[in-house]
Amino acid sequence: MQRHPWIIAAALSIASAPALAAPTVEAIARNCVVCHGPKEAGQVEIPKIANYPARKMVEMLTGFRDGQKEATIMNRISKAFTDEQIQALAAHFAGQ
Amino acid sequence: MPTTRRSLLGTGLAAAATLALPAVARAAGPRVVVVGGGFGGGTAAKYVKKLMPAAEVTLVERDKQFVTCPFSNYVIGGMEKMQTITHGYEKIAKRGVTVVHDEAVGVDPVARKVSLKGGTVLDYDRLVLSPGIDFVWGGLEGYDEAASEIMPHAWKAGPQTLLLRKQLEAMPDGGTVIIVAPANPFRCPPGPYERAGMIAWYLKNNKPKSKILIFDPKETFSKQALFFEAYESLYPGMIQWVGGKQGGKVTKVSPKEMTVEAEFGEEKGDVINVIPPQRAGKIAQVAGVTDEKGWCPIDPRTMESTKVKGIHVVGDACIAGAMPKSGTSANSQARNAAAAIVAMLEGKEPPEPSFANTCYSIVAEGYGFSVTGVYGATPEGIKEIAGGVSKLKAPAKDRDLEAAYAYDWYRGIIYDALG
Ligand SMILES: Cc1cc2nc3c(=O)[nH]c(=O)nc-3n(C[C@H](O)[C@H](O)[C@H](O)COP(=O)(O)OP(=O)(O)OC[C@H]3O[C@@H](n4cnc5c(N)ncnc54)[C@H](O)[C@@H]3O)c2cc1C
Repeated sequence: MQRHPWIIAAALSIASAPALAAPTVEAIARNCVVCHGPKEAGQVEIPKIANYPARKMVEMLTGFRDGQKEATIMNRISKAFTDEQIQALAAHFAGQ
Repeated sequence: MPTTRRSLLGTGLAAAATLALPAVARAAGPRVVVVGGGFGGGTAAKYVKKLMPAAEVTLVERDKQFVTCPFSNYVIGGMEKMQTITHGYEKIAKRGVTVVHDEAVGVDPVARKVSLKGGTVLDYDRLVLSPGIDFVWGGLEGYDEAASEIMPHAWKAGPQTLLLRKQLEAMPDGGTVIIVAPANPFRCPPGPYERAGMIAWYLKNNKPKSKILIFDPKETFSKQALFFEAYESLYPGMIQWVGGKQGGKVTKVSPKEMTVEAEFGEEKGDVINVIPPQRAGKIAQVAGVTDEKGWCPIDPRTMESTKVKGIHVVGDACIAGAMPKSGTSANSQARNAAAAIVAMLEGKEPPEPSFANTCYSIVAEGYGFSVTGVYGATPEGIKEIAGGVSKLKAPAKDRDLEAAYAYDWYRGIIYDALG
C-alpha cells in the first residue's frame, strides 16, 4: 500500500525526464531531514515527517506548491517537485 | 557515466601502492579520509560511514571543538552565548568515524596519501576536502592578520566572535560601527546584513545614539529588500548601507587611525568589522584542486574535483554554481558526495544528486526570514530548480515563526553533521 505509489512514481519520473536522470527519492529525502529531523535532533516547531501519513503529505505539499495552502517556506521549496516526486516522498516518509 | 565509475581500488598507481603493502597493514574496508570537521566534512564522514559501515572513515580536524559561524551573529548581538555555538566530536566518533585532531599539510594524489602536521600519513581510496575558507591577507590594503586583532573579521567563529562582541560592549553610546562587506563570492551572502541587524538590536537596547555604516562594493545583495524592510521598521535611522554605486567599495583600511577609505571618501569608526576577500582553505591549494581565483571546480554529480581524480571538494571551498556558500549547502553537497563516493567504491553508477539550501537570518529577537532553494546537477554546473525568499510585508507571526524555524534548522543541521 505504502510502497505502491513510489514504484509507479519512480517509473513515471524516469520516463518523463529522459535527458537528465531524476534524483532518487532517497537523495531528495535526505535534504528534508535536515530541518524535519528525527526526534534526536530535538526540534520544537518544525513538524516531524518520519511516519507521516502519505495521503496527508501529498495534500500538504501539493497545496503549498499550488498556492492553496499558506506557508512561510514550504511554498517555495515544494515548487521544485513534480506530482510523482511528491508521491514518492510521501511514500518514503510514510514507510519509515 | 562510465568516466566517473571507479573500482574499489581505483586504477593504476593507487592500486599498485595499495597492493604493495603487507597483508596485515591492508585496511579491512575502503579508506575514506575527510579533511575539515565543519558542516561539509562532518556530514561527509558521517554519511559515508552510515551508507557503507565497512568503510574506514577518518575525519581530520585541526580544532578540538567546532564553533559554528551560524548563530555567531547572535553571540555578537548578545542574544546567544558561545556555549550555544560550540560543539564536540564525541558523537560522530561514536558512530565509528575515527576523529584525528591534527592539521592536514600535504596531499599526494598519485600515491593517495594525506600527511598531517604531527607526522601521521593517512592512505585513502577517496579523499574529501571541506576546509572552508581562508582569507586573502593583504587582498584589501592594510588588512592582514595583525590588523584583524584590531578590526576583527569574525568570519571564522571563535575568539574573533568574542573580540567583536567585547568591542561593541566597550563602545560609548553615540559611537559608529563600520562593517566592510566583501565582493562576491564569499561565505554566507546574507551574513554581513544579518550582523548589522543583530548589532543594531544590541545598540538599540543599550546604546541607542549609535550608528552602523555598511560599506559594500556590491550593488545588490542577498535578501536585500527584506533586510531594508527590517532595518526601517526595527531600527529607523540607525543603519546606513553605502553600496557600490554610492562609492561604498573600500580600498584601504588603517587599523592605527581606525579609518576606512572608500571610493566616496574616508570614514572613522569606533568599531570596525572587516570581512576580507576569501578563497578555499589552504589545503585545497596544496592538493592542487583550486583554480586561478582560489576556488575548486567540481563535477556536480559526484563533487569530485575536475582537476585531480579521487578528491571530492564540498562546502565553501567548491564552485557550486547557483548554490550560495552556506552551511546548509555544504551539508547537502556532502550528503550527495557521500552517496556518490560509496557508489563509486562499490563500482556502481553514482546516484543523481539533489541539493538544497536554506539560510535563515534573524535581525531581532522573534524576527526572522529566509532564502531557500532546491538544486540539481546539470552538465553546466549546479542549477536552481525552485526557490526564493520570504514574503515582504509578512505578518509579525510569520517573522516570529521563521525565527523559531531558524533555531530548529540549527538543531537539525548540527545533528545531521556532527550528531
Ligand atoms: C557570520 C556568519 C553566519 C553564518 N550563518 C549561516 C547560517 O545561518 N546558515 C548557513 O547555512 N550558513 C551560515 N554561514 C556559512 C557557514 O558557516 C559556512 O558556509 C560553512 O561553515 C561552510 O562549511 P565548510 O564545511 O565548507 O567549512 P567549515 O564549516 O568552516 O569547516 C571547515 C573546517 O575545516 C577545518 N580545516 C581547514 N583546513 C584544515 C586542515 N588543513 N586540516 C585540518 N582541518 C582543517 C577547520 O578548522 C574547520 O573546522 C555563516 C557564516 C558566517 C561567517
